[in-house]
Amino acid sequence: MRPIAIRIFHWVNLIVLWGLMSSGLQIYNANPVFGGRQGWHMPSVFLLGGWLGGARNWHFTLMWFFGLNLLAYGLYILFSRRWQHYFVQQKDLQALAQSKNPQRRQFAWHRIVYTMAIPLLLLSLISGISMYQPSQLHWVARSFGSWQNLRTIHFLAVPVLISLALVHGTIASNIGNGVLLRSMFAIKSTSNS
Amino acid sequence: MSTEDKKFTRRQILRWVGGGLLFNATGTVLYDPIGRLIRPVNDRLGEAMLSQRLIPEIELGDHVDLGKLIVNSFDGTPKIDLANFRLQVTGQVNKPLRLSMDDIRRLPYESQITQHVCVEGWAAIVQWGGVKLSDILQIAGVKPTARYVYFTSADGYYESWDLASAQHPQTLLAYQKNDAPLPPENGAPLRLASPIKLGYKLSKWVTAVTVTDQLMTKRGYWEDQGYDWFASI
Repeated sequence: MRPIAIRIFHWVNLIVLWGLMSSGLQIYNANPVFGGRQGWHMPSVFLLGGWLGGARNWHFTLMWFFGLNLLAYGLYILFSRRWQHYFVQQKDLQALAQSKNPQRRQFAWHRIVYTMAIPLLLLSLISGISMYQPSQLHWVARSFGSWQNLRTIHFLAVPVLISLALVHGTIASNIGNGVLLRSMFAIKSTSNS
Repeated sequence: MSTEDKKFTRRQILRWVGGGLLFNATGTVLYDPIGRLIRPVNDRLGEAMLSQRLIPEIELGDHVDLGKLIVNSFDGTPKIDLANFRLQVTGQVNKPLRLSMDDIRRLPYESQITQHVCVEGWAAIVQWGGVKLSDILQIAGVKPTARYVYFTSADGYYESWDLASAQHPQTLLAYQKNDAPLPPENGAPLRLASPIKLGYKLSKWVTAVTVTDQLMTKRGYWEDQGYDWFASI
C-alpha cells in the first residue's frame, strides 16, 4: 500500500474535484464562459446543486476541503522529503530520449504527468480564489489581466484536469497490471498490495 | 492485459462514474442543509477580510474599457415620479431624513471606476458617480446601537447589509453611470454601487435606508432564497 497520507490525498482529491467540477459547471450554466446566456449549456446530469445558489453552496464548501487537502499534501511532501525524488527529474527526460525499456519509458511519462498536476491544481485554486474575492485580493486577481481571462483559465482547468487524471489513471493501472492503482485507492490492506 | 483484466477495468469505470452521478444527485437534494452549514463560515471569512481601505480603481487603457451591465430585475423597471421622489433615512439614527434628488445632488460628489461582479459569473467595469452612503449616514447620525442597514426599493426588492460595508468609502448611492445620468433600467434615480459586494447586494431604485440593531428574518430578496448574505468580493 501507498503511505496513508498519499492515499488520503488521492481519495479526497478524487471526490472533492468531482464535486467542484460538477458544481462549477452548474455555476457556469448561469452565464456560460463562452457566449454568455446564449452560449452552450452543460447537461444537468453532470451538475451538482440544482440551481446557482445550490451549486455555490457546494462549490464554496468543497473549496475548503480542496485547499486544505492540497496544503496538507504540500506539507507532507516537504517534510517527508518526497519532493526530492518523486517528481519528474532530468534522468526521466534522458530515459525518454534514450531508453528502449518500455517500463522505464512509461515510468518517465507517468512522472511527467503527475508532476504537471501540481501546478495545475494550484492554478485552479488561485484562479478560483481570485474570482471569489476579486476586490479584496485584487493584487492576485488582477494579475490574470481581465475578468474574462480569469473565467477562461478557471473553466479550462476542468477539461485539462480530467484529461490529466485519465492519463494518470491509465498509466497507473498499467504499472504492475493494476497493482499501483489498487494500492493507491486501497482502504484496507490486501494480500496483493 | 488479459481480457479478464479489461472487463474488470470497464466494470470499475462504470462503478466510479455511477458513484459520481449518484453523489451529484444526492448532493443536489442536500444543497440547502450544506448551505446552512457553510454560509455562516464564509460570511465570517468575508467579515474578517473587510477593511475600510480603498479598493484600487480600475485604470482604463488599451484593452480595458467600460463595460455593459446585463439588466437583471425580478419585476421589470418600476415607474418613479421624480418630482415626488424622496429618499427616506430612518431607524437607529438621531435625525431621520427625507431627501429629494436635488438635496442629494448638493452633497459632495464622488466618482469611481470599479468592477461590478454578478453572482452569475459575469463582470463589467463601470464608472459610478453619486454620493457616499457614509456621508448620508453621517448627516443622519447613526446611533451606537446600529449594526445593519436595510435598503428598500421601489419595485419591492429588499436588501440588508452589515454597517461596516455600508460605511465603506466606496459604497455609493449612485445617480450616474459611465459618464451619463443613470438609466432607469440600471436603477435611476438612485442605486447602490460598491466594489466590495456582489451585484445582487447593489439594490436599484432605492427609496429607503433603514438602520437597525438586528437582522430580521427577511434578509434580502435573493438571500431568502439561498444566496449568501455577506457576499463580499
